[in-house]
Amino acid sequence: MPSLNKGFAFTKTFIISGMLMLSACSGPIDSSKTKAFESTYSPNLETTTLITNAKIIDGTGSNTFKGSICIHQGRIKVISVYQTVNTIQNPTNINCEYTNLIDAKNKYVTPGIIDVHSHLGNYPTPSVSAHNDGNEITSPITSEVYAEHGVWPQDPGFDEALKGGVTTLHILPGSANLFGGRGVTLRNYPSRTVQGMKFPKAPYTLKMACGENPKRVYGDKGGPGSRMGNFAGYRQNWIRAQEYRKNRNSDQRNTSRNLQLETLADVLDGEILVQMHCYRADEMVQILDLAKEFDYKVTAFHHAVEAYKIGDILKENDTCAAMWADWYGFKMESYDGILENIPFVHESGACAMIHSDSGSGIQRLNQEVAKTWAHGNRAGLNIKKEDAWKWLTSNPARALGILDQTGTLEKDKRADIIIWNEDPFSTYARPEKVFLDGQLLFDKQNNIAPKSDFRLGYGAQ
Amino acid sequence: MKNIFIYILLIFMFLFDINVFAKDLLITNAKLVIDSETFRENMQTNTKLPIDYEANIHENISIYRTTYGRKEPIIIFFKDLDIDEIKSELDGLDYKTYDAEGKWVTSGVFAPFSYLGMADIGGEDLTNDIRSPGSLTSVSENASDNFNPSSVFIANNRRHGITHAAISLAAAGNSIFAGTGSIVNLTGKYNSIVKETAFVLVQLGQQGTLNSGGSRAASLLQLRNGLEVANCNINSGRNCENSLIRAISNINNNSALSIYESDHLIPVIRGNIPLVISVERAVDIINVIELKNSFSKLDIILLGASEAWKVADTLAENNIKVMIDPHNNLPTSFETVDSSLKNIIILDEAEVDYAITNLSALGLQGVGTLTQHAGNAVGNGLDWNKSFAAITSTPARWFNIPLINNSLVIWDGDPLNITSTPVRMFINGEEQSLTSRQTLLRDRYNPNTNSDKLHKYR
Repeated sequence: MPSLNKGFAFTKTFIISGMLMLSACSGPIDSSKTKAFESTYSPNLETTTLITNAKIIDGTGSNTFKGSICIHQGRIKVISVYQTVNTIQNPTNINCEYTNLIDAKNKYVTPGIIDVHSHLGNYPTPSVSAHNDGNEITSPITSEVYAEHGVWPQDPGFDEALKGGVTTLHILPGSANLFGGRGVTLRNYPSRTVQGMKFPKAPYTLKMACGENPKRVYGDKGGPGSRMGNFAGYRQNWIRAQEYRKNRNSDQRNTSRNLQLETLADVLDGEILVQMHCYRADEMVQILDLAKEFDYKVTAFHHAVEAYKIGDILKENDTCAAMWADWYGFKMESYDGILENIPFVHESGACAMIHSDSGSGIQRLNQEVAKTWAHGNRAGLNIKKEDAWKWLTSNPARALGILDQTGTLEKDKRADIIIWNEDPFSTYARPEKVFLDGQLLFDKQNNIAPKSDFRLGYGAQ
Repeated sequence: MKNIFIYILLIFMFLFDINVFAKDLLITNAKLVIDSETFRENMQTNTKLPIDYEANIHENISIYRTTYGRKEPIIIFFKDLDIDEIKSELDGLDYKTYDAEGKWVTSGVFAPFSYLGMADIGGEDLTNDIRSPGSLTSVSENASDNFNPSSVFIANNRRHGITHAAISLAAAGNSIFAGTGSIVNLTGKYNSIVKETAFVLVQLGQQGTLNSGGSRAASLLQLRNGLEVANCNINSGRNCENSLIRAISNINNNSALSIYESDHLIPVIRGNIPLVISVERAVDIINVIELKNSFSKLDIILLGASEAWKVADTLAENNIKVMIDPHNNLPTSFETVDSSLKNIIILDEAEVDYAITNLSALGLQGVGTLTQHAGNAVGNGLDWNKSFAAITSTPARWFNIPLINNSLVIWDGDPLNITSTPVRMFINGEEQSLTSRQTLLRDRYNPNTNSDKLHKYR
């Protein structure tokens, strides 16, 4: 239920309109109090851990250094740098009150991986029709839906992603609709509920889609049936959102709460980050002009297969691109994919990142980065591994508005940490331990790993 | 020959397009991967062998490949010789020399299953020949008739070290029989078909169930009847009324194999070419194995086989081969609930004959990731050499293609590591271009290119 603002009569009327439930009220609406629903994420913060002698890639772009990390109350309390790579630090010389000591000699330590584009939970395995909860394919405009309401926390894919080092992931509605609905940022925390996974205070996002998908899905269902129709659909609804926003912010007029327009108005208020599915370069640039027309910001393009053609324009607009290492060619708008997309966008000075869109690919995002990084340097670039690591953690954190919380290993940030058995830019590297807010959730040697309810009663491990 | 060791390996070849005028080739200073069992067997019979034939990776090897104007090329390996000594051995011969500078040299990668060269855009039906739901034929359709060597995906995948691929149709309409598959090389030339009739693919599991009318019983019946009709054709010519009647009465008319179609299963019944069966669930695999009771010569290769590890010993006992994707570990369907990264490890321990595919990444463009999938099998505990064989010599042996003689790839690092890539490639002795539509796009848009020309003029 929306909370009503002070000074107005407490009258409620419910109107059923199509798929939408609208509640009428009067006066300005305080949408900040209408989170559906609040995070109940509550990790165990008791264990205090000291990791010593690790080779650390901290996600800021700094060179790999040898050092220690002291974790207290789920946060990085101290991160210290040894004088030389050959230094072996005795824990008694480190100022850290710990209950758990890990000697990470010869191991790499990095921030936990963030996947900015996942459908775990809303397209869970097993992929039976009953599990198709990721796309409200009933209208091209469904900004009223929330991805989190379709997330099944027992998706076995969450557990496998954790074993691959993924500590935070962004779940999006699918791409059939022009306005797909709200995305949600989750901690990859084994929980009975999606509320128990919600990243506290992470901004909401809005999934929008360009190109082939909306026009294919709605071409014979009243449109849009072309890229022209796509843009008309965006513009008509931004106009509606502008009017709604003006009314809801006004004390003078009665305003019925409209979930669909509320999401769009929150975008116009800068509270929701736009995540835009868009393959083609020319189309992305038109979207950037659309954003200028209606004065909002596109935070990131997703599946930006042709981003390498417009790295300079992305930089000018301060818009990120989330990309695959080598998926391309499965449809016309993905035909021009190249293996150097991410490094080329990075080299242009724009914000580049990897994404999976896959329950399988999410388990190996470090390999996807290593692959494209190597191709980029072969093409004549000279990108450091430490800069390429940003494509896995810091840049996705930036695109999700959570970089102040996670994405790098820095003092006071959440202790989302992976200990790798070797250099994570190798196919043979595997996470050995994964911490979320300092809590050890995966430990390969000691057989600590989450197991979905679904896995019970079957033979696989 | 005195003071030097020269090892000559002759392997029978089935080259359709051998170019006897190709210049001979000397690759020096290679880190050679011996991935072929045939190769090792030949080396073991050579008592003057200076190198440890148990090992698979050998440094400081030079490789001389010559056709001498004959059909079967000869490959000569030199161990620990400097270039002058080798050149004196090869005095009078006309050859090109490539210094591998210590880089890895391997035979080409053989994709054991793909849809390569059969579609331009997967999502655009008119450009996609992988399946033919409207056709009246199935087994008799040959993948080679769909193959377009000029598809951009040929060069785009060649760049990843793939020199050979099995290509297959997919089952469609009411049939579980996809068609007859072929083996191609990735030269991109019109004579790329190495073997036209290489295997038949049948799809059981969920896809077969869907095609055959809705149940596993129906799909298995369609397969058994197809084989019975073919068997009858062998034994009694065209006089197979009983089997045919049984086939047609038991299953949907449209999906019963005609005599013409079933004739194309005869090489399968005789064991002359493999029968590839896509199947996932353990009990479905057992049902497939039981086919051998009635059709003892079947050379069965399972495709997918997510739950094969549960019946590994039975697979080994019955000489059933499997092609699996070592990335598969999610219960994507109820027939793969026991998918596990352990699959390939357990199959290996049980001594099952396996090849590695990248089914989970297999689009038109995806075969290039095969080395990554094999590398991850190693990361999960499989021996490097076995994993590499599973994408090279193993499928080559299954389809009877002498890969090491046909192809060589020089890599800038461990070929199974994700950061490595081929720097040179030879197929049938001829150097292949590693340029592709993707590299041309790359070069046009490289941010370090200081061109002030409009992109369309670059």
